[in-house]
Amino acid sequence: MKEQHDLAKWLEGKMTESERAAFEKTAEFALYGKIKMYSDDLKTPDFDADLMFEKIVRRPKAKPVVQMKTNRFLRIAAVLVVGLGLLLVYNTFSETSVLAQNGKTETFLLPDDSEVTLNSGSEIHYQKFGWNKKRSLKLDGEAYFKVIKGKTFDVNTNLGKVTVVGTQFNVKARRQRFEVTCFEGKVRVQNHSENVLIAKGERTTFESGKKINSIPVTSQKPQWLQNELAFNADKLSAVIAELERVYNVSIQPENVDLDEKFTGTIPSNNIGLALQIVSSAYHFEYFQNKKLIVFRHR
Amino acid sequence: MEKTAVESVCEELVFARFFKAHAKVLHNFLYYKFGNEAQAADAAQEAFIKLWENCENVPLEKARSYIYTVANHSSLNVIAHQKVVLEYAKVANPMRHTSENPEFILEEQQFKIKLERAIQNLTESQRTAFLLHRIDGKKYTEIAEMLEISVKAVEKRIHGALVSLRLEIENIK
Repeated sequence: MKEQHDLAKWLEGKMTESERAAFEKTAEFALYGKIKMYSDDLKTPDFDADLMFEKIVRRPKAKPVVQMKTNRFLRIAAVLVVGLGLLLVYNTFSETSVLAQNGKTETFLLPDDSEVTLNSGSEIHYQKFGWNKKRSLKLDGEAYFKVIKGKTFDVNTNLGKVTVVGTQFNVKARRQRFEVTCFEGKVRVQNHSENVLIAKGERTTFESGKKINSIPVTSQKPQWLQNELAFNADKLSAVIAELERVYNVSIQPENVDLDEKFTGTIPSNNIGLALQIVSSAYHFEYFQNKKLIVFRHR
Repeated sequence: MEKTAVESVCEELVFARFFKAHAKVLHNFLYYKFGNEAQAADAAQEAFIKLWENCENVPLEKARSYIYTVANHSSLNVIAHQKVVLEYAKVANPMRHTSENPEFILEEQQFKIKLERAIQNLTESQRTAFLLHRIDGKKYTEIAEMLEISVKAVEKRIHGALVSLRLEIENIK
């Protein structure tokens, strides 16, 4: 039959005028017409689209969202791990510095548990990596060391080098003054001209590279750790610098001979008394305004 | 043009608009296929969920064919087919009710029942095509897209459906 899909055409209203006229004359047309008419009234059972929509959208977008979160979390974690790793590597390989600011002392442990106490205004640089193979650090200022027994332990300063094995000692490297005091064991002290070995209770002092007389060691610990500042024929400028560091003040000398020597002990925890001692020894007066102090010859 | 290109199915408003436009028809389509209301609703919901979850990978213009592809595939898992139960719209065309002749109304009722039974006895492919046209008012080209077949095949199914319906109704007579 040629009218293969003719009924489909008719149902869609796409029959030509003549085709339709012919179709309407057929016996079946009436029934098809009814089918078309009544099927137009058909409908499906009600269906709650809104409810379904809510179900779909309010459904936690489980998989992708969780994955995203995990990914983000993992990403952050990865960044942290890498960051910490880099920090660790940086810490190990880079130079470590410890600084005691003016007015403060700082105690810390080296990688081998040797203990260092930094006096005010002093700084130490060392490298953590390979510390146990080569115990060597750089000191600028004054520090007290309690060295754990092991390989040699070097303290390098601008004014000389101190080498020990396991001991307790104090190194002072300020301006031209280089002084090493041994409280336990033995210490080798080297500067460009001398190489001295000192034992427990001994001290060696250099001023501008020359050996000068040392004050005998009377205590078990450096005096600065017992709130005392000991001077041994130190120039006034050195005393002033030490006071500035320990008390974190600024001292202005006026008409004062900065090269005059001072020997003695002054407290490091009582600024009034310290200033009194110094000013009476040098016969000058001092004025204090908070952190600023003026020394003037009488 | 530009606007549609930018619009993402992931945006809830876009998705909502798309859902409103297509949910009912997809649901009906699945209902004609399965003859089961709950299954149709489940499958329709499933298709939209898949679209929602994959919204990043489905551009809006592909979304319609996407849900029908999902729906067509899900129908493969359905074995038993149940009878498609339809209703007649309560408010029928008033033009036809000018005559309040009770005999006519009775005849009309009987015809409706016959028609419904005949529709139930159609093959699944004929029924789906026929009802998408009659109930959902879809054009043959749209039906072809939904069923993923050619327009000619749709026409063949519609024609076949009409012939079957007529024969079925005549036989019952």
